[in-house]
Order: sequence, then structure tokens, then C-alpha cells
Amino acid sequence: MSFLVLVPTKRVPDTDGVIRVAPDGLDVDTSHLSYLINPFDAIAVEEALRLRERRDDVEVVAVGIGGEAYEDELRTALAMGADRAIRVDAPEPLDPWNVAEILAELSRRLEPRLVLMGKQAVDDDSAQAGQFLAARLGWPQATFASQIDDSDDGATVARETDHGIETIAVTWPAVITVDLRLNEPRYASLPGIMAARSKAIQEIPLAELGIEIQRRVELVELEQVSSERAGQRLETVDELLDHLKENTDLF
Amino acid sequence: MPTETLTREIFRNIGSGPKATFYGLAVLAGLVAVTTAWRRIRRWRSGRTSETRYPLGQRVRALLSRVLSQATLAKTRPAASRAPRCRCGGFAVLTLGTILIAVEHVAAMLAGRAADDPVFHKGLYYAIYEPVMELAGLAVLVGTGWFLLRRRRADSSVGHRTSDWLVLAGLLFLGGSGFLVEGLRIIEANSPGRWVSFVGAAVAGGLEAVGVTRTSAVLMHQCTWWLHAVVALGLLAAVPSTRLWHALAGGVLLSNHPPRTLGTLTTVTIEEVEATGTYGVSQLDHLAVRQLVSLEACVSCGRCQDECPAHAAGKPLSPRDVVQDLAGQLPGMGSEDAPVLAGDVVSDETLWSCTACSACVEVCPLGVDPLELIIDMRRHLVGSGSVRGSSATTLQKLGRSGNPWGLPAEERMDWTEGLQVPTVDDQPDFDVLYWVGCAAAYDRRSRNTARAMVQLLQAAGVRFAVLGERERCTGESARRMGEEFVFAELAAHNVKELSRHDVTRIVTHCPHCLNSLKHDYPDAGGHYEVVHHSEFLAELVSDGRLQVDDSSGKRITYHDPCYLARVNGIVDAPRDVLTAVGAELDELPRHGCRTACCGGGGGRMWLDDGPDDRVGRDRLEEITTAGAETVVVSCPFCRTMFGDGLAAADSPTNVVDLAELLINSLEETS
Amino acid sequence: MHVLVLAEHDGERLRAGTTAALGFARQLANGEDDRVTCLVLGDSVDAVANDAATFVPVLLGSHPDLAAPLADRWAAVTAGVVRSQSIDLLLGASSTFSRDILGRAGGLLGGAMASDVTGFRRDEDRLVWQRPMYAGAVTASVVLHGNPLIVTVRPNAAEAPSRVTPSASITPIEIDTQHVTTSTRHLGLDGRPSHRPDVTEASVVVSGGRGLKTTEDFEQLVGGLADQFQGATGSSRALVDAGLTPNDLQVGQTGKVVAPELYIAVGISGAVQHLAGMKNSRVIVAINSDPHAPIFEVADYGIVGDLYDIVPEMIQQLDAN
Repeated sequence: MSFLVLVPTKRVPDTDGVIRVAPDGLDVDTSHLSYLINPFDAIAVEEALRLRERRDDVEVVAVGIGGEAYEDELRTALAMGADRAIRVDAPEPLDPWNVAEILAELSRRLEPRLVLMGKQAVDDDSAQAGQFLAARLGWPQATFASQIDDSDDGATVARETDHGIETIAVTWPAVITVDLRLNEPRYASLPGIMAARSKAIQEIPLAELGIEIQRRVELVELEQVSSERAGQRLETVDELLDHLKENTDLF
Repeated sequence: MPTETLTREIFRNIGSGPKATFYGLAVLAGLVAVTTAWRRIRRWRSGRTSETRYPLGQRVRALLSRVLSQATLAKTRPAASRAPRCRCGGFAVLTLGTILIAVEHVAAMLAGRAADDPVFHKGLYYAIYEPVMELAGLAVLVGTGWFLLRRRRADSSVGHRTSDWLVLAGLLFLGGSGFLVEGLRIIEANSPGRWVSFVGAAVAGGLEAVGVTRTSAVLMHQCTWWLHAVVALGLLAAVPSTRLWHALAGGVLLSNHPPRTLGTLTTVTIEEVEATGTYGVSQLDHLAVRQLVSLEACVSCGRCQDECPAHAAGKPLSPRDVVQDLAGQLPGMGSEDAPVLAGDVVSDETLWSCTACSACVEVCPLGVDPLELIIDMRRHLVGSGSVRGSSATTLQKLGRSGNPWGLPAEERMDWTEGLQVPTVDDQPDFDVLYWVGCAAAYDRRSRNTARAMVQLLQAAGVRFAVLGERERCTGESARRMGEEFVFAELAAHNVKELSRHDVTRIVTHCPHCLNSLKHDYPDAGGHYEVVHHSEFLAELVSDGRLQVDDSSGKRITYHDPCYLARVNGIVDAPRDVLTAVGAELDELPRHGCRTACCGGGGGRMWLDDGPDDRVGRDRLEEITTAGAETVVVSCPFCRTMFGDGLAAADSPTNVVDLAELLINSLEETS
Repeated sequence: MHVLVLAEHDGERLRAGTTAALGFARQLANGEDDRVTCLVLGDSVDAVANDAATFVPVLLGSHPDLAAPLADRWAAVTAGVVRSQSIDLLLGASSTFSRDILGRAGGLLGGAMASDVTGFRRDEDRLVWQRPMYAGAVTASVVLHGNPLIVTVRPNAAEAPSRVTPSASITPIEIDTQHVTTSTRHLGLDGRPSHRPDVTEASVVVSGGRGLKTTEDFEQLVGGLADQFQGATGSSRALVDAGLTPNDLQVGQTGKVVAPELYIAVGISGAVQHLAGMKNSRVIVAINSDPHAPIFEVADYGIVGDLYDIVPEMIQQLDAN
């Protein structure tokens, strides 16, 4: 049996895009935004491909959870080199709990040895789905990985923590969430994306997984944080520190 | 003596037995040469067929003009051009002469004439033929000797193979023994009119002086004749397997007319990629026939390497090695286990070292285009997903945001703060479109160029407009990084915007934008008259539309940007502007079309580079050594590279764009 | 409401983020029937328990298997306590520790979780949490559905509560070793050799540019200022070019792209190549002697002046606090 690596990828607005709250105050204005694979998830895809280069039995399956638009990002994952892709057709946005429930059910069916995903998505910045999933499956977890050394039984993972690099060992099957320093993802060009069209994207309706969405996080309001730079010229260090105390979380 | 009796007997002093042996050997050598050559030519034909076919007549004309003049060399290295010009011209004449002799011989035999009764090899014809051949022989000798000297000095850029030495020695021997044979024949035949073969006559005179008589010359002539003949036939047989082959391959290459314009690239569409299943070049048979021929035309002379700014900076790139390394794969071409060219044969790092400055293309006497090969291989790297890091980020940002920094399009007009800059919507009846470019739109230092430019245009009363927030990167960097499709998308967007406003004339201060709009965009359906701001400003000054104070007297130096000077030949206009403001120009050692690269082109602007091996450091040194107060540039890339470099070196030299220099000398007119 | 705060500690004392979380818990649980408890886990961590008990009552789970904060074990124990003590709200500081362990506990406890909360309000009987999204570009107000709720709070969301005398109670809890799995093992913790976080990870980045003259100045001023925030150091390309800083510190188009809470540009002029690497920072401070330096155009706060005067003064004042 092959060593299946499941890589959940989220579709998020371009990190260079200007995020503006929509008039209804319940969403961001997406009209001018372009989308991409959550950068941390792209690192996960890259790491799965490197794992495949190291071991000969690896199959990399990219997973997207959302509407048809998700297929663009799944194509990118395929263009990078993922073997196949699955799109679970689900309404968006989903909170981390529901994402984890869907991934857990997929994992029970596909029996991956490893679920590799970004440590967080750069839209909601929750950083929860990976841990929820590991808990739901009862699998070991290694979050914020900056290095992964795999063996037949499991992996040694270096984790980026606030207080230094922590090294832990996990056994397969496991959930690993990845941090920035793990690798530099490869560039997916149009020819790669075109070539990836021959690879299948399997669509799974939510109902087929027997999952009902149970909302855990309800968004009641979005508020714009002023992106205008204050642009204040200050005269003294005292003034500067006062402003920093008032306007940052650091003191 | 009447010229009618002038002639010489062909195969004189060679008996019929030896003559038959010679025929046999000649046929053998010819067969060897033809079969080897045929194998090589067949290999060319497995390349992609050329997009253009040239009629034979045109080819021959192009060949003659380009080969005999050695135009490229004469332009770039006048001294060095003499050796190949001598060899090449001499060889052509000698070959032609030998063919004429063969024709005469066969004709005489068919007509059943006596050996001393030639068909046309006599009289006035002979009186012209002989001295010409003598001169050609001398030319080959001198050219080869000169070249041997250069090889012996072992210039680092000159490639050496044992066979190269043998070939050169053979050529030298052939020339020397030829004259010796002639001298001995003159003594032996003792025919009148020996002065026609003036070198031979001189050799004969010398030999006679040391005691060679008509009798002793008989055997000596036979021996040297055979030596000469065997070496000649040997070289003939070896032509396709040695460097001599470059004469043929180079000839084919040079006969392409017109030659490819600097600054152009071959377009690849996504439809072609889908049809062929390949993007870029990873195997030799992905190359065009023209490129395959070029691999064999290269004689490893190393002129490209001498000019290469990346090589000078210690990067692993040598354009000659790129060509030679690919040529080295020719024997295994098409085999199953042929290595991947981009990555295995030529390393990624080598390919990413190139600044696309085009110096190697310009300097190659045989029309080999290493830049095209490099970009073709970069295309493979891009298509196969081996691009990472800052180059990947830049390509992604170009694709998504339309500028290399990923900055919002809404900020594209921020540079106009405090100025009234009309957009195409504000001023629909503009005469010329000012293409601002990303650097001036976003980089706060380059903004000064655009700000100066619009103030100059306004002072001169030019009706202009800018695209504003709808302008996007031309895609020049992306294209030269091998990302044809990000380029295509950006070009399609820009062409659409430009067409919507019926733009026909564009002025821009960025040579990269200029080159792209001029040479890249026609393939994307955009045809414009594109002028550089230096040309535009020079014209405004000479027309008196800009009143300039010519008393600046500043000591300045001027850096020619590659894509302005070398690639697009614009060298006078910027100097006219400098003269107009009365600046005292100290030319840099390398200037005009022979300029040196700042290191920012070909996408290198976006690559993560340690400071020690950054391309263009030598140019920076030239500028600091020049010691001028100001270095004037006319390209935002050069401005950034030198601005950073000079500041890091704590140099007092400051960098300004031509437009900024001009605006400071603008006379206030009421 | 019963709030349980999971203690993050260094083996001796609570970390500052946890005391702030205790303060936040107090703001939430201010009714008569409300309670705040601190859960201290580890191996032989009585000192930590004593420290925590100066704020609130403590549940102490001490066991050799809990020596290292492995999420699998700690989350299982924490979830067990939450269930057995009928906890309504499980709280922790925003940190890699809490994201790891409380995230997993959240998965065991139903997933009604909000991360990086900066504040809350009551809307009738609902609690509405404020938290940043899109790297701080917007603030979301969210309501969590489920019980218990799991929340991590930003350190600045509340002050540390006042200490109580005498100390509150410390109650040991049984550690059920069946929770302990061997599928995860702790192998070690490598403190950062440079004691500074990576420039892409830090919440504060102090970057130096051409205004600095020597490597020593860079270390003393840029490094010294960064250390005041436990932040990272960065560098402009010019300084890398000048040979003063290594290439891997370079922030910008051809270097690292960063988006910290606070970015302090010291003696950096602000070429677009540099701006592209730091423009998404939440607060940008510029210190430069050239009043026309482009960096001031993108900065929230700027001081025009000699960095050799200004930076030492900043370090001194921060140090004094």
C-alpha cells in the first residue's frame, strides 16, 4: 500500500491584495481580489513532493473544501506535482471545526499516513484546523514544523516555538502543520497548470461524507483596521514610545 | 613575353601511376568528408524547422557580405577581425581556385588535349589567376600564424582541443608546402613567366640560391607534392569532424538574412505548448534547426566569454561554455538517456546568472546566439517547476499584481502628487503616450525621473497622457526569465488598453519597457512607434521647444544602458542632451554600443544575490574610477543598481536620470 | 461561569502571557458565582503552582510524563479537567504553546474556539469576541456556539491581576496515565543560538540600513533595540552590500518578506525593493536623518534625526521600564 499524504489546501485572497470590509460588514470585499493557495499550504504541498522524492511509495493528494472556484488552486497544487486532487463540495466559509470534521472523515476513508497542512490560513488566521483534526483522529500532532525527517515508523520534527526549536518524534499516522522556514515552494507555471488538466479532480459532495455543517464560530461583524499609515513626524523618543504603547500589543 | 603562352601544366612531373593513386585517395577523402558531413546535416534536420525560409540567392548574398566583411568582428574587435578575415577570405579563394583547376583538368581530359595544352588555364586568365592564388595562400598563412600566436598566448577565453592544434598545424603546413611545391615546380619546369607566381618565384629563387638545380628539383618536387597532397586530402576528410566544420555551419548560419534583431525573442504560445507537450528546451531536438547549426558553428573563440558581465563577476556562466556544453551533447542526441539540458548539462545557477545584456550575441562573428539558448532553457526551468525563492515570488507578483513588488494598482499614480498629470481619460486627444513603468510608479527614487519627465513635457507644451492605474508591467522581466505566459497575459492587457485609446506613439524613459514595447509587443498584436525619452528630449531641445541653460559645466559621466545602446542603438540622443546642458562628458572606458552591464537585466534585478558576486561590480568600479561628480543614467534598473552600489561603497558620485539633469538646466520661460 | 486558564511556564514561574490571560479571565468572570482557576501541568512544578496561587486557585497536575509540553498528552489531561470540573471557558495566552495544546484540546472539546482574542463584549447573554483577521487588516467580532468555549488571548488584552494574600488553594489532580500515549516523544528544545527569533517569525523586527557605519554599531543599536522586544534583526540590501550584515538578514524583494506587529527601520532610506518586503507590517517606525527619505512616506511614526542619538535613548528608556 502506498504512503498516502493528504494535503489540505485553502483558497485565500492574495496576500498582496488590499483587504477591505464589504459594505454589509460581514465579509471582505472580494471584487478586486485575486486568489491563491494559502502560502503555508503551498509549503505543505512542496514538502509532500519532497517526501515523494525521498521515498518511492508516496502518493500526494491535495484536498480543497469549497465551491468550484477551489479548482483553480487545486490545479496549482497538481501543477506543482500533486498526484491527484479532491474537492469536497461545501459552502464557504467554514470554521476550523467543520474543516477538521470533513478532513477527519476523509482521512478515515482514505487512510493517509500523513496529513500535511499549513499551520494557519492567512485569511482567518485561526491556526486550529490541524490540531482539531489530530484530536478528532486521535493521531499525534506536530505543529509549526520547520524541518521534517521521515523514517518508516514516523518522523522527527523540528518545531518553531516562541522559545526555540523544539524537536519531537511522532509515529505514523500523524498530522503535521508547517511553518515558513520549512521550504520554498516551487513555482507553478501555466504549462504545468495546463498539463495538470489531465489529472483528475475528484468531487465529493458533503452529503456523501455524511457530515452536516455545525457552525461553531459565527461572524457578527467585520471592522476595517485603518490601513492608512498615521505618517506622524515625532520629535522625541518619549512621544514615540507613548504612541507605540497605545497602538501595539507589545508593552 | 606575350601572355598567350602563359600557363602551367597540371600534374606536371607526376607519373600516371601516382596520379591514379592520387585520384583514389581524393575520392576516398571526399567520400569520408561527404558521409560524415551528411550525418551531421541530418542531425540538424531533427531540430524544429525554422520559422522563416530564405531564398538561396538571398542566402548567398548575405553569406558573402557577412563572411567576407567579418562585419561583427570588425565592429567589435577590429584587430581580432583581421585573422579570421585573412583565413576566411584566403580559404574561399583557394577553394574556388582548386575547383577551377579540377574543372580545367576534367575538361582537358574530355577534350583529349595534351597536358601542356590547357582549355582555359592560360593566357590573361592565368596571369590573373596565379597572383590571386598567391595572395590567398599568403593570407591563409598569415591568418593562421596570427591565430596560432593567439592560441599560444592561451587567452583564457580561447577553447583548446588537441584536434584544434592539429588542424592549425595542418593549415600552416599546407600553406608552406604549397609554396615549396610551387617553387620546386618552377625550377623543374623552367617555364617562362615565372614572375606570375610571385611567391613561388621567390621561393624558387631562394632554392636555386642554396644550390637546388633543375635535376635535383625533380625528386624533391615529387616528394613535397605528395606530402602536400596527403595533408590536403587528410584535412578535407577531416573537415566535418574538426573545427573546420565551423566554416560550413557558420556559413549556413550567416546566410540567414536578415539576421535576428537584438532584443527579440521567439514567441511560444500555450497552444503550441499543448500541441508539442514541451515548453522551453530540455533536449537538443527542442532546438530550432538554426540553433543546432549554431552549436556547430561555434569555434570556441571565447569572445562572448570576454564580454560577459556575469562571467566577469565570477558567476558560473560563460556563454561559450553554454554553447560548447550543448554541442558536446550532439553525439548522443535523441537517445533515451540523453541528460536534461537545463539543469543537468547547464546548471540552474549558470542559467540564472545571465542578465540578457546581449553582449555575447552582438560580439559573435558567426551569429551564434547564446542568449536565446539560455532563455529557451530558462523556459524549461520555469515550466518544470524548478523556480523557487525570490524569482518565484517576483513571477507570482507580476502575474497577480502586474508589478514586480506586488503593490496595488491603485498606487500607480501616487508619484504624480502635486503635479497635474493627465491620464488617457482626462486628455483623450494626446499626441504621445508617456509610458511610466513600474519603477517610476512605485520606487520613490525613480519617481523623480517621471516627475522631471512630465514637467519637461509640460514645459515644451507636448500633448501627452499616461495610462495611469491601468498600466501594468510590460512583462519584459518575466519574458527574459523564461516565463512566457505571465508576459503574454501582461502584454495582452497592455495592448488592449493601448488599443482602446488608439495609441500609436509611446515615449518611455525605461529601455526595458522600450525594448519590450518595440520588439516583444508586435507578437502580442501591439504595433507602436516607441521612442526613448532621451530621443524625445533631444528633439525638443533641438527644436527649441525646451529652452536650456547650456552653462552647467558639470563634469559628468554617462552610462549607456544595455537595452538602450547595445540592443536598440540609441547612443547619440542622450549625449545630445548632455551637450545641450553644457556638461563636460568623461566617457567611461566602455561606452556606446560596447557598454557594460549594470547587472539588473534579464530578471537578475529580482534574484537573491550575495554582494560579492553581484553582476556589474566591474562597471561600478569603472564609474567610481572615472571620479565624476555625477553619473547620468537613462534606465531605472541601472539607476537602482548603481545607486545602491555607489552608496554601499560610500562613493561621492551621485546618480541621476537624464530627465532630472535636464530639468535642472531648464530656463524659466514666462 | 467557571474559567480555567492553562498555565504556560518556564518550570519556575508563569509566563507573562498567562498572567495577562488570568487578568482577562477576571474581567470575564466578575460575577458572584463566577470562578477562575489556573491549571498547572508539568513534572515537579510546585514553584509554578505557588506562583499561580498568588493570583487564583490552582489545579496542579504533576507527572513525569508531563515533563515536556507535548500537545497529545497535555491536551488530553486538560480536556479531562475541563470535563470533570464542568469548565465553561478554557483560556490561554496567544502563543505557540497555546495554539498547539489548546488547539488540540479544542478538537477534543467540540471546537468552539477563538484564537488571538484582543477583547470581548457582552451582547445580551452572548459573549462577542474581537479578534484580528487577514494579518490584522480587519477586526472580526465572533460569537462561539458550543460548550465549553476555548479562547486564546493576546498578551495586551488585559493587565495581570493583582496578587492575593494569602495565596489561594492548590489542589492536586490525578493524572490518568491511560491518557499518555507513546506516539509522540519529546527529544529536546534548542534555545535560539542567537537568542533572537527569525526575522520572518518575530512580532517585532528592527532593521538597519546605510545609516549604520559598522557591524558593531549594528549589533549594539539594531540588535540592542530588537532585544528590548525579544524581536529579530533585519537589514537593508545596502547594508548587506556594504558587508556589514549577512545576506540572510536581508528584508525586501530579494530577501525575506516580513509582516510583524512592529517594524522599526533604522537608517533605512526605503527603496521599493525594501518596502516590498515589509509594507504589510502592522506598525512601521522610521528613524532617519534625511527628512526626505521615502521610508517616512510608509511609516506610521517617524523621527528625523541621528540614529546614533535616538536609538540609544530608546534602548535606555525601554530598559528602564
